[in-house]
Amino acid sequence: MRLTHRIAIVVSFSLSAAMAQTATSQIVKAANTFLSTLDQKQRHGVLFAFDDEQQRARWSNFPTGFVPRGGISLKEMTPAQRSAAMALVSSALSPRGLEKVQQIMEGDEVLKHTEGNGPPFGGGPPPGAGGPPNGGAGRGRPPFANGGDGQMFGKDLYYISILGTPSEKNPWMLQFGGHHLALNITIDGERGILTPTLTGAQPALYTLNGKTVRPLGPESDKAMALLNALDESQRKQAILNYRVADLVLGPGQDGKIIQPEGLKASAMSDKQRVMLLDVISEWTGIIHESAAAARLAEIKTDIDKTWFAWSGATTVAPGKNIVAYYRIQGPHLVIEYAPQGLGGDPSMHVHTMYRDPTNDYGRKPGAK
Amino acid sequence: MRPKVRPGLAVGAILLLVGTTATAHRLDEYLQGTLISIEKNRLQVQITLTPGVAVFPFLLGDMDADADGVISETEQSAYASRVLRDLSLTMDGRPLTPQLISRQFPTIEEMKEGRGEIRIEFSAVLPSGGPSRKLIFENHHQSRIAAYQVNCLVPRDPNIRIVAQNRNYSQSLYQLEYSQADVDLGSPILAWWSSDRVSLGMVALLLLARLALLWRQRFRTVAELQ
Repeated sequence: MRLTHRIAIVVSFSLSAAMAQTATSQIVKAANTFLSTLDQKQRHGVLFAFDDEQQRARWSNFPTGFVPRGGISLKEMTPAQRSAAMALVSSALSPRGLEKVQQIMEGDEVLKHTEGNGPPFGGGPPPGAGGPPNGGAGRGRPPFANGGDGQMFGKDLYYISILGTPSEKNPWMLQFGGHHLALNITIDGERGILTPTLTGAQPALYTLNGKTVRPLGPESDKAMALLNALDESQRKQAILNYRVADLVLGPGQDGKIIQPEGLKASAMSDKQRVMLLDVISEWTGIIHESAAAARLAEIKTDIDKTWFAWSGATTVAPGKNIVAYYRIQGPHLVIEYAPQGLGGDPSMHVHTMYRDPTNDYGRKPGAK
Repeated sequence: MRPKVRPGLAVGAILLLVGTTATAHRLDEYLQGTLISIEKNRLQVQITLTPGVAVFPFLLGDMDADADGVISETEQSAYASRVLRDLSLTMDGRPLTPQLISRQFPTIEEMKEGRGEIRIEFSAVLPSGGPSRKLIFENHHQSRIAAYQVNCLVPRDPNIRIVAQNRNYSQSLYQLEYSQADVDLGSPILAWWSSDRVSLGMVALLLLARLALLWRQRFRTVAELQ
């Protein structure tokens, strides 16, 4: 190898490492800045032990009035605190990841105005309503405790919590979520792990300031394009002959690995594999760039052992979301996209799940 | 006593009553997700049942039999047993007996809101068999309103390899074929008479019997003609 090439590689690695360190140090700095804006009671509400398994699992697709989250909500913060909280979230995400998160939150604000905002079914807090599912109680709020006004939806009902102590060396976690959003971000030195993460949208298509917004539009469009790029024989393998009504590995199914099905990427062309990676990047790319690049590189290594399965309609109206479930599964990856047929148009209500069953919550030492 | 109402007729009315907020939650289906874990001599199954808001009133009577507003331990056991009775499991054509391991019930209020999940776990001892095995799982619990899902977990035992999964459209019927490398079949005779060979042997015996019958009839006819 020529000397110049060697130097270029060394410089490239050094730059990558420096960028990763920069990302982690920026996140730690933003975390400490946020914590410094809180009073003692708020800090107690935000901070959890790194190994607090109950808090780790306290996330859901449901509104926070139904399944309470730990931490404190944006609604409970002063404008300065809210700004510091969002700066922390922003520091851990890519620009596109942050945009996606904001669009999911804005969607919930739209829902607040279109669906009403009181407790469902006309009542107050249901008698005897307990803590979150699976016995999680601890410091999670009781249902319908969002400021005591029974608010169900809205962009201020998103909660932030920190597990462990923000550090550039030791592992810690940042959680941010609410209705249709659960970001579980483990920072471990230079590594950033985004699994498990749930994204969702309702409405999955809305207008804001005259602009049409589809928070999970690329997830729908890129998968549809991939399906359309398959030949007949590949489609026969990819399209499942049965209905999938919902996520298989949603909340409460941590660490499970199901038998993969569908079309294996080893049976795809190079172009189709690139398209598959592009679909996957909609989830891997939520986290900041250096962590996203490391994660995508890991998935690229596994790509021949990655499967693509589809169930549902194989066409889509222009500008709309698919009405089909799909799953992408590899040795270190599970992605599910599940439209919700809950009495309305399934294309308008979508849940997605992003997991690394071998490394959810950054449990695997030394993993990317 | 609760009035008996046919779910199909009343779901529409309930949908109107629950209002638009209910669109955030499961409505007119009873989601039943099953995960099957295969081990060498047993299988373990987890079923997660999520009643939709609109159908839960019709399920409540089965869960809260005394209608006191609480699903007691006894009622939970009774309902879990009922779910198990509505399942059918066979291994290589032989029926399996599910044994309840655990059950978790949310509150009635949580289920009324469409966010409550019932979780039932059971196991079944597997009869010994050959290196190629076939599990058939059928779920008929509340079939008129059910949305079934069933999957197999990747086996932890490296000797077990999933060969094929087949389902009908609704996933009420699931067929799993797998191979098991470390089968202890005992004597060579027993090894030869593994499940596939038993089936082949039965077919061969039936064919032989049929041929014997035909030959006997032909022999009689020839004898009568003579």
